[in-house]
Amino acid sequence: MKRILTAILLAAGLATTGHAADLKMGFILPSPAADVGWAKQLDLGREAVEAAFGDRVETTMVESVPEGPDAARVMNQMISDGATMLMLGSFGYMNDGLKLARSHPEVAMIHASGYKQADNFATFTARNYEGFYLGGMAAGMVTKSNIIGMVAAFAIPEVVAEVNAITLAAQKVNPEAQVKVIWLNSWFDPPKAQEAARALISQGADVLFSLHQDTPSVVNVAEAEGIYVVNTSSDMSAYGPNSVLASVTNDWSDYFVSLVQDKLDGKFKGADFRGGLSEGAVKMAAWSKDLSDEQMAELKKTEESFAAGQSHAFDGPIIDQDGTERVAAGATLPDGEIFGMNWLVKGVDGSVPN
Amino acid sequence: MSVFPFSIETRTRRTRFSAIIPPLIAVCTTIVASIIILTSLDVSPSRALYYLYIAPMATRFNFAEVILKMAPLLLIAQGLAIGFRARIWNIGAEGQLIMGAIGGSLLPIWFNDSGNILMLPAMVVVGAIFGMAWAAIAAVLRVRMNANEILVTLMLNSIALQVLYYLISGPLRDPFGFNFPQSALFPDVAMLPILLANTRANISIFFAVLVTLLAWFFMQRSFPGYRLQVGGSAPDAARYAGFGEKQAIWVSLLVGGTCAGIAGVFEVAGPLGQLQRVVTPGYGFAAIIVAFLGGLNALGILAAAFFMALIYVGGDIAQTSAKVPYSVNTILQGVLLVSYIASRVFSDYRVRLRKPAYNRQERV
Amino acid sequence: MDTLTFLLSGTLLAATPLLIAALGELVTEKSGVLNLSIEGMMALGAVTGFIVATASGSYWLALLAGGVAAAALAAVFGFVVLVTLGNQVASGIAVGILGIGLSGLIGRPYESSTIAPMHELPIPFLSNVPVIGPGLFDHVALVYCAPLLAVATWWLLRSTKVGLVIRAVGEAPEAAHAIGYNVVLVRFCAVLYGGFCAGIAGAFISIASATLWSDGIIAGRGWIVVALVVFGTWRSGRVAIGAYLFGMTTLAGLLVQSTGIAIPSQVLTSVPYIVTIIAIAMLSMDPQRIRLNAPVSLGQIYHEAK
Repeated sequence: MKRILTAILLAAGLATTGHAADLKMGFILPSPAADVGWAKQLDLGREAVEAAFGDRVETTMVESVPEGPDAARVMNQMISDGATMLMLGSFGYMNDGLKLARSHPEVAMIHASGYKQADNFATFTARNYEGFYLGGMAAGMVTKSNIIGMVAAFAIPEVVAEVNAITLAAQKVNPEAQVKVIWLNSWFDPPKAQEAARALISQGADVLFSLHQDTPSVVNVAEAEGIYVVNTSSDMSAYGPNSVLASVTNDWSDYFVSLVQDKLDGKFKGADFRGGLSEGAVKMAAWSKDLSDEQMAELKKTEESFAAGQSHAFDGPIIDQDGTERVAAGATLPDGEIFGMNWLVKGVDGSVPN
Repeated sequence: MSVFPFSIETRTRRTRFSAIIPPLIAVCTTIVASIIILTSLDVSPSRALYYLYIAPMATRFNFAEVILKMAPLLLIAQGLAIGFRARIWNIGAEGQLIMGAIGGSLLPIWFNDSGNILMLPAMVVVGAIFGMAWAAIAAVLRVRMNANEILVTLMLNSIALQVLYYLISGPLRDPFGFNFPQSALFPDVAMLPILLANTRANISIFFAVLVTLLAWFFMQRSFPGYRLQVGGSAPDAARYAGFGEKQAIWVSLLVGGTCAGIAGVFEVAGPLGQLQRVVTPGYGFAAIIVAFLGGLNALGILAAAFFMALIYVGGDIAQTSAKVPYSVNTILQGVLLVSYIASRVFSDYRVRLRKPAYNRQERV
Repeated sequence: MDTLTFLLSGTLLAATPLLIAALGELVTEKSGVLNLSIEGMMALGAVTGFIVATASGSYWLALLAGGVAAAALAAVFGFVVLVTLGNQVASGIAVGILGIGLSGLIGRPYESSTIAPMHELPIPFLSNVPVIGPGLFDHVALVYCAPLLAVATWWLLRSTKVGLVIRAVGEAPEAAHAIGYNVVLVRFCAVLYGGFCAGIAGAFISIASATLWSDGIIAGRGWIVVALVVFGTWRSGRVAIGAYLFGMTTLAGLLVQSTGIAIPSQVLTSVPYIVTIIAIAMLSMDPQRIRLNAPVSLGQIYHEAK
């Protein structure tokens, strides 16, 4: 019975037309690919792939796929629809993706923010802390109250590293600068993010950082209250023309295009890519006009020095909240510790769970 | 009621036939609604039907996914239905599931290199106790302080989530996991055996079906089951039967919490393989729909859990293959339950068209 | 903005939608109907209000549209529980899910869009008082309306014919029917009113406080609304106190975090929920108080042709 029904429906026009793309690639995004946000930047990467390869590569995208037991089904469905390359846009897809990669060696996967690789399972992470270091410098320059506030969802290592980079940078240009953090502990609650933003303002913060908030919630508050804000993922200056001090944006176009090329050439490798300013994966956008020429020159100088690898956001000396020296002068924090950070530097008001 | 051209009368006897009408209407309405919604989204009706209702059963893998999805829904819904029949409204299965997942994760996290085959049964016991204990908070507050269990269980959901977030970003975090908020992967002895090779369907479905049979026996054939129903719906009458309102509250919440807790263990020991930020895609709430959709009847719930799992999986397929937004799935769940509840009027009551004369008479 | 100003103004902003929706739910429950679908109605109100405000530029029209959309959903709920005599708990959950799904689908093109905030209406003189001026008297009109609505609801239920009928229908539907009231019609209107209020509350969030639309923006507030009615033991004054307390507790948790005290942030996030549980338990302990105010027939199916 089932088979007959299937046959009828297939006859009714379900059979996929013989499209001759060399590669079908599926993109799985954790949130809606709206005008701005993390998912939007990944989707722009998808568009770049389409633009670069034309008819050779056919892409599909599924948005709002929650982490948890259901993501594996979407991956599997994409593979059975003929996809031989997948982009997994959230850390939480890691274990399901790896399992599937093992049972489908012909499928290449690229996974965001993870730390496990396989021959056909590559990972990519943004060195957002580089961008936030620059944002932190700018914040240290413009703050009058010397209090900088941050709104963040969860204390994952990536975000902890960003908090630390901001603090180190702000204190470098402004030794008086103090940093306050509020963790929302919620997947998604824009009104609560806004309440947190206002709470930080009431504690004297005059520059806010919106860390990995996909909606312009915090930018909105900053605009209304007439203070500065630095946000993540996309250029949000349209939402805060007067308030956005800078946007730390991600651009995955080059990375995606090069990996698709590798796949087409049969050269795909399960490597780990950590892209920062030099790779173009992190880009600064929407610098505020309120920053003076001198300030901009200093920011550009640091940006170039990061991009050229001459200096690093986590160059020592770095002292943590308890007063312990984590990095000696002249040394640099190794990558492994940056991407597993669970301690805060001196000058942060707040705590991370341990 | 005179605005309506029909009257609703109490049914004196329920026929076998009348009991099938509501689910039939509900399923038909949902299918029609899905065609309408998907057509408005430029998906042809035949494609819509195929993706939602046939594709989930068309391949071995997809069918296994339906089974995988069905097991927790069935297990939790059976536990909830026992309470719902006694009019104890436990809306907190989501939180009880989370606590069960936490409890069930303790052993595999603490004894991560263990090869003891008793691990899995022990996890189920610990998880069941955690789920039960979380529900017991609501039971104590209701029995001792008369606190409304709907609200207490609801608030406990939010608290359970924060407990989970706290534990996985601290005490239960994988020490070799770069401080990501998740536990270590479970050892093999902590994982449920797979039912069908190369799929994710595991033996939890057998457990859920077993619980279904037990629930059916308990509610239909046993005296305590009967007393529980009476205890909840008519406290005074129940006291004569020796089974008071308090016992009904305790039994309802503890059974519900236990089932949800075990479902939580099955999630971490099944598809997830670790404790992480998301352990449930809303099974605790979906199971409430399943319980009602099954008419709070053990066998009805079996069918309801299957159909819900089907539209879940079908929804995911439609989302992947036909770019149908995620919300459509949510809408269909709502349509399914709303149309079911509304059409229950045909089985629980006799609906008659009013004769004009009769109508006039009543107005006098 | 100093700490106290923030606490006052933030509390008003957070509590206003909760209070408006809870006062609507109060009237619904007083008539004997338990509506658990507030979350879905607020979501539908939020998205409708946002779309209408974006398209028309009129915020008052948007609030009205949000209310009407949610009332339409409430009509579905009313039909299911009053006409087809469905179980109220199940129907509430079902209609709530329907509302959440609909709002997500309708709002998809507007995902993450923002809108200029509704104009504030500073109260002359009072808004110039330091601290409490900007804290309490410099808000959009609806913020001042909410406590007035609480007073009006109290007056309506206590001293008017309409209130008497609503209470009678909720206390003793058979008796109310016997003396000639149309129980179903009264309850249906109460359900519509509750939906209307929830819709306005949702629209308030999307166009006046958050000033953006995103799927899931209500984030559980609809359930808090249901809790507030019980917390307030079905009295509008206490419901209002509960709403403001809940708002203040949430904000206090965020404030404490920003001072850097080493309490796990998850504990602080849980505090409002723990407080709600304790408060409900304490208030429910005295059966007299509950019996005095809780509608006797709440949640029960009313069927005339017995």
